[in-house]
Amino acid sequence: MREEEPNGRQTTVEPYRVTPKLARRVALLGALVVIGFAALLLRLWALQVLSGSHYAAQAVANQVRTVRVAAPRGPILDSTGRILVTNQPVTSIELSPSGLPKDYATRVAEIRAIAHLARVSVRHVSKLLVDRRIHNDLLDPIVVRTEATRPMQTYLEERATDFPGLTLARSYIRRYPNGSVAAQLLGYDGQNTHSAGEVIGLTGIEAAFNTFLSGVPGEARVSVDSLGRPRSQRLLTTSPEIGQTVRLTINARLQVAAQNALGYGIQLARNQGQWAADGGAIVALNPKNGAILALASSPTYDPSVYSGRVTNRKLAAQGLIGNSAFTMNHPAVDRAVDGTYPPGSTFKPLTAIAALEEHLIKPYAFYPCTGTYVSPQDNSHRVWHNWDRFVNQGMDLPTAIAQSCDTYFYRAGNKFYNLPAGRGQPMQKWARAFGFGKESGSDLGPQSPGTVPTIGWKQRMWTKANDPNWRVDRIWNPGDSLNLAIGQGFLLVTPLQMARFYAAIANGGKLVTPHVLMDVENQNGTPVPTAAAPAPRPVAGLNPAYLSVVQQGLIEGTRDSFGTSYGVFGNFPIEIAGKTGTAQKTVHVPGYTGEKDQSWWCGYGPATDAKIVVCAVIENGGEGGSAAAPAAERVFAKFFHVRVPPTGLIHSD
Amino acid sequence: MLEYAGSQRSGVRAERDAPRLLAVVRSLDWILVAAVAALVVVGLWAVAGITKFQLPNDPNYYLNRQILYACVGGAVLIGAALVDPDLYRRYWRGIFVGTAVVIAFVLLIGHAARGSTRWISLGFFTFQPSEFGKLLFVLALAGLLVERQGGAVSSWRTTLRVVGFGLVPVVLVFAQPDLGTALVYLAALGAMLFVAGIPWRHLSVLGAVVVLVVVGVLWVGPAAGVNVLKSYQQQRLTCFTHPATCRAAEGYNLHQSITAVGSGQIRGRGPNNSSQVKFGFLPESQTDFAFAGFAEQRGFIGAALLLGLYLLVLWRGLRVVTVARDLFSAVVAGGIVVALLFQIFVNVGMTMGIAPITGIPLPFVSVGGSSLIANLTAMGVLLAIHARGRVSRYSRRR
Repeated sequence: MREEEPNGRQTTVEPYRVTPKLARRVALLGALVVIGFAALLLRLWALQVLSGSHYAAQAVANQVRTVRVAAPRGPILDSTGRILVTNQPVTSIELSPSGLPKDYATRVAEIRAIAHLARVSVRHVSKLLVDRRIHNDLLDPIVVRTEATRPMQTYLEERATDFPGLTLARSYIRRYPNGSVAAQLLGYDGQNTHSAGEVIGLTGIEAAFNTFLSGVPGEARVSVDSLGRPRSQRLLTTSPEIGQTVRLTINARLQVAAQNALGYGIQLARNQGQWAADGGAIVALNPKNGAILALASSPTYDPSVYSGRVTNRKLAAQGLIGNSAFTMNHPAVDRAVDGTYPPGSTFKPLTAIAALEEHLIKPYAFYPCTGTYVSPQDNSHRVWHNWDRFVNQGMDLPTAIAQSCDTYFYRAGNKFYNLPAGRGQPMQKWARAFGFGKESGSDLGPQSPGTVPTIGWKQRMWTKANDPNWRVDRIWNPGDSLNLAIGQGFLLVTPLQMARFYAAIANGGKLVTPHVLMDVENQNGTPVPTAAAPAPRPVAGLNPAYLSVVQQGLIEGTRDSFGTSYGVFGNFPIEIAGKTGTAQKTVHVPGYTGEKDQSWWCGYGPATDAKIVVCAVIENGGEGGSAAAPAAERVFAKFFHVRVPPTGLIHSD
Repeated sequence: MLEYAGSQRSGVRAERDAPRLLAVVRSLDWILVAAVAALVVVGLWAVAGITKFQLPNDPNYYLNRQILYACVGGAVLIGAALVDPDLYRRYWRGIFVGTAVVIAFVLLIGHAARGSTRWISLGFFTFQPSEFGKLLFVLALAGLLVERQGGAVSSWRTTLRVVGFGLVPVVLVFAQPDLGTALVYLAALGAMLFVAGIPWRHLSVLGAVVVLVVVGVLWVGPAAGVNVLKSYQQQRLTCFTHPATCRAAEGYNLHQSITAVGSGQIRGRGPNNSSQVKFGFLPESQTDFAFAGFAEQRGFIGAALLLGLYLLVLWRGLRVVTVARDLFSAVVAGGIVVALLFQIFVNVGMTMGIAPITGIPLPFVSVGGSSLIANLTAMGVLLAIHARGRVSRYSRRR
């Protein structure tokens, strides 16, 4: 440091002095301080004094959050008011995503601890969290577990401070008092994947009538901290509206009887050596209006695996996912509406109606019923057998139906084949007129349309791309007409379609729309308007006289001692009309691939003024009279309050 | 006689001329002492309210620790006030290297731990070198500046050399990454060059470079795909210019902070009603956003009192620059005062949305031992400079 005074005199005691330049600069710094503090104070004044009340209100609003209060779903009742599905209140464990630690390692540890506590997988929790982040919604809590067990609740209440993001909340899960009965029909609910936190019906009735069943969620105000953790009791501002009560046309007792009847039919079939019998369906309809009284499918499952916490293990135990579905014969499939089978002889009434209407046969003329039949037009000269090879007599139509004479209908089928091209394909036309080959239009949701094979259909199905012999295979042969005439070959129907067809026979030719919805009520009992099922619609061009011939054949089938269902329904106190069916179908069951007989029975009663149509099918159950007919009898017995003895072995088609 | 600063002879002379302890005590700036004491008390008052709800089991946990730090800091302040600042000038090289090594050490630990680390854990106390670094950096650079400068204040060579040395700790801290503290260092560096009297020409060129770098890093760089800053740092810095469109987290923090300040109104809501702090809406309420928490709880009256005390300290600090015994002391005082001003302005301004969001603690208020002790030490150095200046003036008069 050079110490030199401006006058040049050197000194030792004046080492440093504030120069005017430094003073100016310090003054500038001072000005900087003043400007800075003026800015701060002005801003402080503006925020706290001028807009203070605005921010005070904002700070209050900050704490109050409006949360959605889930509405319980409406109950589902049967036609007599018995509960099919209701709600069970449960305590669920909810987690505020924003309440988790920010730091990755502690965050992971916290998620692990929570998953362990709630006995759910870490993946489950982190998947929910990721979902929530994708939706950019960090304030609404995620449901870690729907039903917390009592020990979990106690533990959480005691250690609340250790898990700041966790809260216990009231919610509802579905309860099924009848267990596995009508499981496929009722369906189940679950989280809406498009709207987090919302429960919607996913399948069956739950999905089809979701608009009625899902209530209106309410709103509540709750004081929360910055992590979304509640700091006060919920104060309801809008009460949730419980979903509406949906009443079905299903009769719970009849439904149970149908489910039991399926088991009975399957057992009968197995007792007779039909080892592959392991499934089936029963449809019971009101033939006057199409109301579905029972809709059973076997095997079935316990739908409660879908309420609350759904785990793969629980689903696998019920055969609902993956390999378990194969080993347990697909319990999730509603065979009554989604299962397609060749109908076999139960289809013969349709052939009869079509042949009568097309004047190919006369109702009371006698045509030969022989043991074998060869179509004159068939170049391969294939021999078609009757199920009873030793019969050789003339039959009129009712007898042919009652005794289920195959060769009678082969001849009719051959006549259809020989029709000139200008007459079109009337058998298929009548099949479609009675609802085959398309969905029934019922309110049950999606169904299988089945198949009614036509000349054009064959042309479309066999092409160069999928078949080396396509030029030959796509041709409509006499055999196709013969097969169609006895409900075999490419024809595929669902049990519901068959029941609808028999309902039309029973009610004098009106095609009903099967439906399950009876009415919908508000919680306070006022009816809710719903779309009524379409009224039964007469099948166009149907001659009632011809229909009564078919009805006569169906009555003879159960009442005539030669009738195929006589062994089952011959002594039934109520007069039942019906038809057996034994349909060959190539099946793939574990350990076996080949043709198996599908056991069918369709009919109605009382024969003169039908109140119920029942259609039963036992998969791989053998002959119609020995498995499906006894099963159907059980349903009639329940419906008419009749006691019936167990059935023995009946040989029939 | 001709004598160069930093020479052995000057040191010997300084020791010989060292004023007696009593004279130093007598010539302390008692207004500054009182202002600092009041600041510490107000800071503890603020901490008591802000941290009341941090730990549900122990509302006084942070307050008790902060009181302990204040006591330690007070002791260090007394010690620093008694030390002749010339000591720092003579050993500036050691201070510089030591500071840089410790900060670099922290940086290495941080890299080893694969994250950002600003602290060295000493068991009961986590030591944050960059806080003490603010003071040590000022002392070391002032030493360099005075030694290099001699009296010829106008050479580019000197300016660039000081800037070059100064950038070493800045870069080290920036790499921690602790952008806020790096900016404090830069502010102090600028202030020291300013007080040391480098020409306006140099200052304007340096200022232009700073503006270019800021514009380049914040706006031009990202637009061209070059990111010097981590994206969250950049978001935080530019958020206050467009709070409405800002990315969620930063915009949320700023919004909550402004709400907290505003909801305090004139008289404050008191700790028990301060929902922003109590329910955790205000982020980092005991450190970065301490001012917002204090303003919510104590209102305009409390916040203005705090700002007034800061103003008092800054005024006395600037006065110390003018009474300094030598250029080194003046430069040190200037650096300390401007670093303090910068921290106060950026931190308080950040909570009210008029300054960028940077992780700078509020001096004397934010919870944290390193910050409090370092700031009190700096005040001690200011007091020492004042006292020596006064004493040497008395001796001059004698």
